[in-house]
Amino acid sequence: MAAPEKPATILVIDDEAQIRRALDSILSTRGYRVISASDGPEGISLVIEHSPDLIILDMAMPAMSGLEVCRELRAWCAAPMLVLSVHGADADKIAALDAGADDYVTKPFSAGELLARVRALLRRASGQAAAAPVITIGELEVSIAQRRVRREGQEIELTRTEFDILAYLAQNADLVVTSKMILEKVWGPEYGADTQTLRVHISHLRKKIEPHPSVPRYLLTEPGVGFRLAAG
Amino acid sequence: MERRRPLLERRGHAVAVTMVAAATAAFYPGREYFAKGQWALLYLLLVVLVAAVSGVRPALVAAALSFLAWNFFFLPPYGTFHVADPKDWLSLLVFLAVGVLMGWQTGRLREREAQARAREQETALLNRFSARLVSDAVVADVVELLIKQAAGITSAECIALFLADEFGEPRELAASPGVSCHRSPEVRRLVDWAYRNAKAIGLPARPTTAESGDWPISVSHPEAGLQADRSDVFLPLQTSTHQSGVLYVGQRADGRPHHYADMRAAVALTNQVSVFLERKRLQEIAVQADALREAERMKSTLVSGVSHELKTPLASLTATITGLLEGGVRWDEARVREELRAVEQDLIRLGSSINSLLDLSRLEASEWRPRFEVYELGEILGTVLSKLPPGQRARVSVTLPENLPHIHVDFDQWVRVLEHLLGNALQYSGPESPVRIGAAATVSEVRIWVEDEGPGIGPEERGRVFDRFYRGKAATQTSGTGIGLAITREIVQFHKGRIWVEDVAPHGARFVMALPRADVGGG
Repeated sequence: MAAPEKPATILVIDDEAQIRRALDSILSTRGYRVISASDGPEGISLVIEHSPDLIILDMAMPAMSGLEVCRELRAWCAAPMLVLSVHGADADKIAALDAGADDYVTKPFSAGELLARVRALLRRASGQAAAAPVITIGELEVSIAQRRVRREGQEIELTRTEFDILAYLAQNADLVVTSKMILEKVWGPEYGADTQTLRVHISHLRKKIEPHPSVPRYLLTEPGVGFRLAAG
Repeated sequence: MERRRPLLERRGHAVAVTMVAAATAAFYPGREYFAKGQWALLYLLLVVLVAAVSGVRPALVAAALSFLAWNFFFLPPYGTFHVADPKDWLSLLVFLAVGVLMGWQTGRLREREAQARAREQETALLNRFSARLVSDAVVADVVELLIKQAAGITSAECIALFLADEFGEPRELAASPGVSCHRSPEVRRLVDWAYRNAKAIGLPARPTTAESGDWPISVSHPEAGLQADRSDVFLPLQTSTHQSGVLYVGQRADGRPHHYADMRAAVALTNQVSVFLERKRLQEIAVQADALREAERMKSTLVSGVSHELKTPLASLTATITGLLEGGVRWDEARVREELRAVEQDLIRLGSSINSLLDLSRLEASEWRPRFEVYELGEILGTVLSKLPPGQRARVSVTLPENLPHIHVDFDQWVRVLEHLLGNALQYSGPESPVRIGAAATVSEVRIWVEDEGPGIGPEERGRVFDRFYRGKAATQTSGTGIGLAITREIVQFHKGRIWVEDVAPHGARFVMALPRADVGGG
């Protein structure tokens, strides 16, 4: 993907200087403007000063935890937040999403993994994704306007609900989408809790769109959270 | 038996009085036919008889009464205690002395015999009891038996055993069914007192005739801090080195004080139980010490395993990167990329080793609590396969039956299980060799397997591959912590499942896991 015309500003909040350096190197070489803070309070004041387009936030920080920063920022700041968590801290990830984070990456992560999330978050925040008439996910081509899906050129028949779910996932491609978000988007706010129905639809959807129906390659489960449509 | 002594004695005195009266009545009509001294012999016979039937004291009573009766009825002048012939005084005195001596001797003999019989019964009881105290006896059973036996011996309705907990506080362990007398604050206080001071409370005094033995030091209730005397007994459970608790023996059903003989049996039982409990305690300590040693051994294996596992990639990383940084060499870009790929491989290896170690420590500390949910196996496999590099992913083929039942598992843990099995299969078979994942349902289980076409695992190794730090013969050339399969087995067992390894023809290994089906109850 080409570098954005007007460089997006990304704020990195991490207490580890090496991680800040690595992120700065990865992101600035891709044309992003990077500012960084070594703790939560400094990060918050940089948000006020620079209004970044995206915030990358470490979960485990002394003084003010990533979770607290997340909650604090989400109260008044609309910029997408990407959380860095560690292996085994599954509960932390879920808590971060609840606190308003948009997605998470587990350390150690590769540059490719991080960049995919960053791009996806910026795309969603800019409204590009919602406006795109056709979204391509690997071999899948989701035509939002025409409400049609093709895999390797072959038309796939979906029910209305299945298409709505897929379209929403495609618009958030590469990002975690909670069950609640899908339910509210597709069925309406009052259906937020009916995850069982959603799972049945997801299962049907997989059978139709996946090249190997029993082993999903695109529509992945994020345990305890929701789903992710993997473009990679 | 000694325990019935007061009753018998009372009856014994009556026996003595009755027999002397009856004999006197019987002798009286024949007063003139025999000489006065011959009546004395008949009275002596009577005293011996009383002694044999009722013991020492009734015999003495009989001797005294006979002395009076002989004097009154058979020594002239009749009907008075006055003795006319001074020679008769001598006969009288000799009669009294002989009567007392014979009564005393015979009575003692009888009582000794009764004591011996009681001791024999007690010994038989103790033998029966100690036969139950074999080292594999369960504490609860022994305690229940103790309470039952103690109740039987002492006729106390309320028996309770208090054992010291890990803080050294005596706590109620068991009691006679349906009683609560041992829960009163006074009893609790005295139980505490008996435990802390290692003294019994309320034991009857040892009779001077009884031989000394293991008779505990005992104090009265007031000495232990209570206002009034009571008739219940507190027996500390002690060995020479250790206090383990207190046996509470409530008062007798008939309200009378406990007897020495009963208490002696109870003390003997208590001592046996103390020894048994002490043996159990020492066994437990020994087991704990073994466990600690094992943990120490594991720790040192872990440290050496871990340092090897982390040092190797670290060494290769250091060498590669310092090589790249070294001045004076012109690297072309392709060469740099190649070096960096090697660095990436080392890092992946380092990362997965660290993750495995983290998993292991989380499992060890029971901090990795599974969140069970119903999933399709395919969902989990999707996540596992999406993390594989494309080259490895191409080697894996998955065949799942259309109607495979859902499984009830922790998603992340099963991702890890499948990653380990898949990682092993990919690593221990040739770089192009295929790896197959399959599954099938039986009536009660879902079976999932991962098979490769590598060298396989010999029968002698099959039991050990799941042990920590065990690395198969084939593994000597490859890297690995030797804990992946140990983690896998632990997770599978967490899910009430089984895991084993079998041969694949013509060569290869198949790791099979069987999980209870979530859809057929119990799962």
